[in-house]
Amino acid sequence: MKSFIKITSVFALIIALVSCNSEQRSRKIQYMGDTDMYDAVPYEAYSADHKVFKNGMEAQTPVVGTIARGKVAYDYPNSEVGYQLAKDSLRSPMKFKAPLDSIYRVSKANLAQGKHLYNIYCAVCHGKKGDGQGDLVKREKFLGVPNYKGRQITEGSIYHVIMYGRGIMGSHASQLNDKERWQVTHYVEQLRNDLLK
Amino acid sequence: MKSVNQHRKPLRLFLSSLIFILFFTMQLFAQDGNAKNGKKIFNANCAACHKLDARLVGPPLKGVTEKRTKEWLFSWIKDSKALIESGDADAIAIFEEYNKIPMTGYSDFSDQDLADVLAYTDDKPVKDASGTSGAATAASLGIDSLQVVKGKKIFNANCAACHKLDAKLVGPPLANIADKRSADWLKLWIRDNGALRASGDADAIAIFDEYNGSPMTAFPELKDADIEALIAFTSHASILEAKAKTGDTEVSNVAEVASIPWATYLVLLVVVLFTIWVYFISGNGFLKLMMTIAILIATGYFLYAWLMGIGVDQGYKPIQPIAFSHKIHAGDNKIDCQYCHSNAKHSKLSGIPSVNVCMNCHKSIAEYTGPVTEERDKVFYDGEIQKIYDAIGWDKEKLTYIEGYKQKPIEWVRIHNLPDFAYYNHSQHVTVAGLECQTCHGPVEEMDEVEQFSPLTMGWCIECHKKTELKVESNGYYAKIHEELSKKYGVKKVTVAQMGGRECGKCHY
Repeated sequence: MKSFIKITSVFALIIALVSCNSEQRSRKIQYMGDTDMYDAVPYEAYSADHKVFKNGMEAQTPVVGTIARGKVAYDYPNSEVGYQLAKDSLRSPMKFKAPLDSIYRVSKANLAQGKHLYNIYCAVCHGKKGDGQGDLVKREKFLGVPNYKGRQITEGSIYHVIMYGRGIMGSHASQLNDKERWQVTHYVEQLRNDLLK
Repeated sequence: MKSVNQHRKPLRLFLSSLIFILFFTMQLFAQDGNAKNGKKIFNANCAACHKLDARLVGPPLKGVTEKRTKEWLFSWIKDSKALIESGDADAIAIFEEYNKIPMTGYSDFSDQDLADVLAYTDDKPVKDASGTSGAATAASLGIDSLQVVKGKKIFNANCAACHKLDAKLVGPPLANIADKRSADWLKLWIRDNGALRASGDADAIAIFDEYNGSPMTAFPELKDADIEALIAFTSHASILEAKAKTGDTEVSNVAEVASIPWATYLVLLVVVLFTIWVYFISGNGFLKLMMTIAILIATGYFLYAWLMGIGVDQGYKPIQPIAFSHKIHAGDNKIDCQYCHSNAKHSKLSGIPSVNVCMNCHKSIAEYTGPVTEERDKVFYDGEIQKIYDAIGWDKEKLTYIEGYKQKPIEWVRIHNLPDFAYYNHSQHVTVAGLECQTCHGPVEEMDEVEQFSPLTMGWCIECHKKTELKVESNGYYAKIHEELSKKYGVKKVTVAQMGGRECGKCHY
């Protein structure tokens, strides 16, 4: 009988070792379990089930009609009229209002940052040169992306389109903040000028 | 005494066979361990900047041994800077070609490690890359196929942004449009639809009103022949697709053959049988004692390893609510990590994209068209895309958001999570240091399902801080302090650790 227990325990050990190979679908245990050393007392980002919020989510959208600190209001409406208005009248703060030493000035550094951001957020469709030949276009996931050369665009319309999107292009306002949108805008203008040469 | 003698022969036979089996299995390991171990090393160290078949930060590495000698590669990997400074022409050329970003030196690699990595760059099977050109001629069908091909080109370049053939997009579907409207009407409309509407054409005004009064871009530059080609394409597009489909069978990679188990199980079985024999059959006291000691040591070893693994979730691979494949998005389609994880550049967290970011592309991509496997076929993938629409309330037939829809958040499962007592900031690593995401997260662009690649232990953090040099170029913030510190430590380049990246309070406070 004794040997029987030993033999079975040995086989149990083998099975335990063998079963280690499967995929790890749940977390392992941690020292000090669920103490506040490990789990934050404040709400974790994106967590849910908090009774203080109506929908229980930690990630709340801004109250309608308010602007979060550090964000900039954009008054042009999301419509064809707004597009034309922005195209004709919206001008970059980087060029005109900014004093010489301002970070909002169109400078080499701002254009370099614009290029960096353009390559992340735009080039996958619009192409690194702005010719409408991004990787997604080459793979025929998106088609008909315009060449900047062939479109009458102004800094106002570029900014407006990044803000709201146009046609099948969606809004990129959540991915780029105000300053970054202008940096990208100026880089797009530069690309277009290069293409027009 | 007699009984011991009797047992000696089978024991010896048993031991020698055991040794033989051990040797045999070790040889097995050594043989396929080469490229396999190389892959492991490659993924852990090289994959952050190199791919096999494409340029990443550094050049593609497949077949690199055919271009350079082994000696050259060894000295390059161990210390590329020294090689460049020695005036090696090849080394200088590659340095210049890749924007003068020096490669990290791996002086701690053994020659065996290096040989394994090189074996891996040689061995990897070539991916099937038989692309098909859609421009197949269909002369046999009796339609002017050249015209259709030309029409497709014009359509893709000008119309496809707002029109699909068989479904509504921004504008109406265009398949067989010639049945509804005359060619002359279409020519007028395409060149200047505003003028056509102004002339009071009833059809033109009706279509304008139906599509929310957003005018179609005018294409005055399209000639008669272009528009005729377009019409030919919208009527006969199917002949191109039929041709393209025949060559469209992509071979999915054969699953890797699991090579470890059998040898391991065999050895294990032998060890267990031996143990049983020693305790219950042999009756040899000395052997029992030795066996007990061995078992105690082994138990201690495994117990220690298990304790050290507590709280370390390397390899954690939870089931996500949507079978989102990073391989398809970041790998095949080359969408930048930060396109979706856009918070990484400013924030502590890298951010989970809100659904509007998914919709930037999936407004028009409602169907999966890539390669499929048996478990994951087109229906499966289309169902997964449908989950986005169910979450946000998108009507994929009408291409509008459903009014008053009760949106449901997608509850992604967090994989990488540091305990609350450790502080980590993405923006500092991504924006300031300019690290590639893959440095810590591994080759995510190859993962269908993401798993935790790095252990995320403190030792792992410190190890990297010790050997990583500060990125001071184009970073005015570090210029002055770097100058002072490099004098203090008497080094050319200051590491993160010397800058304070090893102080407790930097991460624990």
